Amino acid sequence: MPKLFRAARGMTMRKTANQCVHALVVVLTFGVVHGAHAHHSFAMFDNENQIKLQGKVTSFQWTNPHVYIELDAASVYSEDKTVKSWTVECANPGILNRIGWKFNMIKAGDEVTIIVAPLRSGEPGALLKQVTLPDGRVFANGGPAGPALIQ
Amino acid sequence: MSVRAIRTTTVAGACAAALLAVFVAWSGSAQEPDRSRSSSGVAGMPDFSGTWERYTPPRDPNAPASRAAPGAGGGLGPTFGGAPPPLKAELVAAYEADLKLRQDAERRGEPIPSVNAQCIPEGMPGMMIALFPMEVLQTRGQLTIVQESFSQIRRIYIGENPPAIEDAEPTFFGHSGAKWEGDTLVVETVGIKENVRYRNAPHSAAMRIVERMRMLNPDRFENQITVVDPEFLTGPWSWTWTYQRKPGYKMYEYVCEDNREFVDPDTGAQRMRFRNEAN
Repeated sequence: MPKLFRAARGMTMRKTANQCVHALVVVLTFGVVHGAHAHHSFAMFDNENQIKLQGKVTSFQWTNPHVYIELDAASVYSEDKTVKSWTVECANPGILNRIGWKFNMIKAGDEVTIIVAPLRSGEPGALLKQVTLPDGRVFANGGPAGPALIQ
Repeated sequence: MSVRAIRTTTVAGACAAALLAVFVAWSGSAQEPDRSRSSSGVAGMPDFSGTWERYTPPRDPNAPASRAAPGAGGGLGPTFGGAPPPLKAELVAAYEADLKLRQDAERRGEPIPSVNAQCIPEGMPGMMIALFPMEVLQTRGQLTIVQESFSQIRRIYIGENPPAIEDAEPTFFGHSGAKWEGDTLVVETVGIKENVRYRNAPHSAAMRIVERMRMLNPDRFENQITVVDPEFLTGPWSWTWTYQRKPGYKMYEYVCEDNREFVDPDTGAQRMRFRNEAN
C-alpha cells in the first residue's frame, strides 16, 4: 500500500497548499509534454512505493539521455535514517527545459527534498518524481516519468 | 472567519494566481515568431517548414471527427500507430513469442531494453512518431526532418525516385524520394537496416515506407504512413500521425553522452549503472 499523502494529514492550510502544488505539477507535467512516451521502460522502478528523501547533493549532471542528481540522503518517513549515496534519474535536458528547469538550478552542496520511485532491486537508485529546491521551488520530472503519488 | 479559514483562502488565492501565471506564460510563448518557417519553398505548394510536436487528439468520445482532428472521437491517438503488423502466418508465432517475452519481463520489473534505452535512434518509420519536437526545413527539391530525440535527421529528395531495392544501402533513415500529388507530398523510403524495427516487427530488404504528408490547416499536418513488404507482410500496414506547430520553439541538442541504462549480461534485463561503477 503506497504511503499516499502521508504528509497532507495536517492542517487545512497545508492540505490546500499541497493541492496547489499538485495542481501546478499536473498542469506543468501534462500540459506541456502531454502524451509523450518515455525513451525506455520505467518498469525497473517501483512506482507504487514511492519514497521521500532528504539530503545533500553531491553532483548534478545535465546530460542526455538523462539528467542525474547524486545525493547523500536519508528517508524522511522511514524509521531507518541511514544516509546512503543515491543516484536519481531525471528526464532529459530537453523535457526538463520545457517544464521550467535550468541547467544550473541545482548545485553540489544543495539541501534538497525529493520524491522518487526506487529501484525494485533495492539498490540506491531511483526515478525522480518531484524535487524541492533549497528556495522552496518544486519541480516535477515531466510527463513520461509520471507524478508524485506521495507528499 | 477563523484564522485557519483566512489562511486557507490566502493559499487558495496564491494557488489560483500561480496557475494563471503558468497559462499567461504559455499564451505569451505561443505568440513568438516562428523563426524556422521557410520562405524558400516552391511557390504555390504547401510548406511544411517549422517546428512541430506530435498532436494527440483530445480524449473526448463525443467529439465529432473533423479534418483538423481526424482521430477525435476515437479517444487518444495511438502512440505507436494503429493495428499490429499484418505478418505472414509463418512469422506470427515468433513475433508473438517475442512480444510475450517483453510483456512478461516488463511485469517482472526487468524490462528488456528498447533500442532507445541503448542510445540507438528509432530510425524509420519510428522516428516520425516525434517523441520530442521536430523541425522540418523545406527548401527547393528537399525536405529535411530533424528529430530532437537523438538528433535524428532524414533528407527527402523531392522530384526524385528512391533507389532500386538492390541499390539501397541499408541505413537507419533509408533513402527517400518524393513527388507532389496535388497538395500532398508522397514520400517513398527504402533501404532500412534489418535491425531497425518499428514495434519490433521484422522486415525484409524489400520493405517500402510510403508517407502521404499534407497540411490540414496552417498549424497542423498529417502523415499517413503505409508500410509495404511483400516478403514479410500479407498486406499494407497503415496508420496516421498528426503534428501541430510549436511556434517559436528552438530545438535542443541531443547527444547520448552518458547512458546509464545497460543490459545485464546475465539476465538480459535493463539496469541502472551507478557512477564510478564499471559497465
